[in-house]
Amino acid sequence: MSVLILGAGGFLGLNTVDALLARGVTPRCGRRKRSNVLGLRQRRVPLVEADLEQPATLREAMRGCHTVLHLAGHYPRLSTEPALSTTLSMRQTHAVLDAAAAAGVARLIYVSSTATVASRPDRPSDEADVFSSAPDFGTYHHLKWHMEQLVAAERRVPTVTVCPGACLGPYDWKIGTSALLWQLRRGQWPAHPDGIVSWVDVRDVAEALARLVDVPRPPPRLLLAAQSVGFHDFLSHVAERYGVTPGGPPLSAEAATALADREEARVTVEGGRPQLAREIVDLIVHGARLDCSLARRLLALDERPLEQTLSAFDAWAQQLEGPHRSPRTEVHA
Amino acid sequence: MTTVADAKWEGRMIELIAEVSLMKADQIRPQHRLREDLGMDSVCSLELISMLAEEFGLDISVEEAAHVFTVDEAMAMARRHLQRGA
Repeated sequence: MSVLILGAGGFLGLNTVDALLARGVTPRCGRRKRSNVLGLRQRRVPLVEADLEQPATLREAMRGCHTVLHLAGHYPRLSTEPALSTTLSMRQTHAVLDAAAAAGVARLIYVSSTATVASRPDRPSDEADVFSSAPDFGTYHHLKWHMEQLVAAERRVPTVTVCPGACLGPYDWKIGTSALLWQLRRGQWPAHPDGIVSWVDVRDVAEALARLVDVPRPPPRLLLAAQSVGFHDFLSHVAERYGVTPGGPPLSAEAATALADREEARVTVEGGRPQLAREIVDLIVHGARLDCSLARRLLALDERPLEQTLSAFDAWAQQLEGPHRSPRTEVHA
Repeated sequence: MTTVADAKWEGRMIELIAEVSLMKADQIRPQHRLREDLGMDSVCSLELISMLAEEFGLDISVEEAAHVFTVDEAMAMARRHLQRGA
């Protein structure tokens, strides 16, 4: 079965390439002209130009493909330009859907986010729980909701939307969800709010996507997470692993939001990374406890425990940055 | 195929660095640091090395790319790989 991955060179992309290769499927890997394809070259997989801003390349890349895995949904680096980010993300989603329809793709698997999952007071949220209108508390949530609605309304191509929680593990080049892990690894206690985090090993999400390619009649939406836990407790647990002493209680939601907004304004001028990103604050503060039993059952998933996930993250981070040095011990192998 | 004997390869490398860094090619110096002096972040510098690898047909690992911090180190890495392929 021919499979195209959009976003193949990224965090989830490289892990998905590995999962498909392990199942005997060599995916066609979409790339932009200017993107990091070192990991894909190492894997000797076929590359094809697929730029979400150039619809002709998408149509050509999808030609003859049975399944398209769309892992390249817009992830705004900052939340400072909501209108621009939403316009861009919608334009690109339209382009992918139109190209898939034109190429006669039999299945489009779209990777969204748990940012679209509405929390429930009475039980953990499941696949039926979506915000009834676009969340107004953050750029990331806003555009993810719009993109998912667009995919859900698609009638020309059968679609499946997958909403993974906070992915952790190797190859997070852009330092998205791993940002706080990097800070702990460098011996810093990160400023953060409290709330719910639904974390998942990126390799389990990749495995789920690879298995989903072969599922005969998948449901339209699937949630994927290993565990939903309190974020401050989660961070304290990980801090212990890195020998970092927790530096204080969590910030209030208001204080964390204000800090993230100040930081994003600062890096807009100065460059670099914000100490705390706005979408991370929103994801934690508005995080829902998830019931992921449908995906677990359907795809026969057995998610890895957190220690395995962190070990894989460490092994990869060490290749990039050398051994972890914590305040408590000299060197962690 | 580009080889180390090809006098034009260094010039082409500087052009690519200029393209990614948005600094003019004639302002780029070997001692310039990709991040601090040329304003690249870690993602951008990996993209640059990937572009160099694609341009010159070099087989560079991500781990090797992650340890390139200056223009000079990028040149040395390319030279090393071109010599291997010569």
